[in-house]
Amino acid sequence: MNFFSISSIVAFFLLALAQTLIFNHLSIFGFINPIIYLLFFVYYRFESNQTLFIGLAFLLGFFVDLFSHSGGAHTIATLTVGFLRPIIIRYAFGVTMDSPQSYFSDSRTINKFSFLVLIVFFHHILYFTLVYFSWDTIHLILKNTLFTSIFSLILMGIALSFYSNKK
Amino acid sequence: MQRILNALFQFRNPILYLFLLILSISFTYNRNAFHESNLDKYSFLISAKLHRIQFAISRYFNLRTVNDQLLEENEKLKFLVLQSNKLPLYPDALTKSMRFLFNAKKATVIKNSFQNQRNFIIIDQGSDNGIKPEMGVVSNNGIVGIVHSVSSNYANVISILNQDLKINVRTKNSPAFGSLVWKGGSSIEFKVEDIVSNAKIKIGDTLITGGMSSYFPLGIPIGQITHLEKKDESGYFSIEATLFTDPSQVFYTYVLENTDYEELQSLQKNLK
Repeated sequence: MNFFSISSIVAFFLLALAQTLIFNHLSIFGFINPIIYLLFFVYYRFESNQTLFIGLAFLLGFFVDLFSHSGGAHTIATLTVGFLRPIIIRYAFGVTMDSPQSYFSDSRTINKFSFLVLIVFFHHILYFTLVYFSWDTIHLILKNTLFTSIFSLILMGIALSFYSNKK
Repeated sequence: MQRILNALFQFRNPILYLFLLILSISFTYNRNAFHESNLDKYSFLISAKLHRIQFAISRYFNLRTVNDQLLEENEKLKFLVLQSNKLPLYPDALTKSMRFLFNAKKATVIKNSFQNQRNFIIIDQGSDNGIKPEMGVVSNNGIVGIVHSVSSNYANVISILNQDLKINVRTKNSPAFGSLVWKGGSSIEFKVEDIVSNAKIKIGDTLITGGMSSYFPLGIPIGQITHLEKKDESGYFSIEATLFTDPSQVFYTYVLENTDYEELQSLQKNLK
């Protein structure tokens, strides 16, 4: 148990609680509830155990589902994005000799941004598809994905800027 | 065998993913009796507990909004109460005149002095909100004072705790009227002057506003008679009374606008 694994566990529970207690009730403009627990996907180091990470992503979604008494939409969305994360990392940061070991060790803003956008977008479109699960509501799925993604990104960006400033 | 194990280990991530995916899909769509009874029950138990805490917190922070809503509702009710007070006193009020002269406007006390002999109150409504000098100010259970001067956003109110202020009062059961004046000590102890000694009043009678001034309508309950003494030589009662509410503790008030104020003033000018 090193510092990183303990802080990961703390972040895991803090994000799940913050999501269910605060951000699920924001209702910006009446329908936007930003999803910020995806910060865990950013915080978890890139070179750490991927098998463990899939399990953690499943548990994170499961906790949020359990606390917010929703179906299994969070679980499936986080699990899938957790599974796809290595591909997203490769796509956003590129495969080079100096591939970053974590989100914070890379200095190029455009890489970080595309990483965040890909994770948030994939997660949200999966999540809202599962929530509505009908072709008739495709416009609702797209509208919710777009606007919620924007607010999730803004909030995650603010949170990450605090974290980087402290370092 | 070794190769099968190797292959399994090599593809452990997709296998784990597919396994968990099937598990979570079964959570969502395979709502059989086990999930209904157990998983859902626990999930509901946890979320209900969490939301109760959250509700308690958010309710605390919403108190201000709720307070404002109640105050607005009270403003409407105050008007109705003032109007209905009149009815039992004038049985033909409904048939003879449908008019009711007073409108109520809510205001909050910003500063309230009560230690001097001549006290003033500042309220957070001024000429921008239609407050003018010489309007009556009441609280939820009694009267507070009379507006003295106004600025655009604030008004200065002569408190009832001011020895210069005399309020026209009568008792609920007898039409004999007098003036209510502060004695200068405790903030709820007052004396009533100028009630003639042949009036039928007794200790415990309720004092209400007399409606002889343009400040307050008839029938706002103010206080109770606690001490009564008949003085033969002067021909007037010596009466002591206590108020229902302590004016030094008032926070929310209603300013009464007399819609016929100017008409009354011009009549009085003609008399002089």
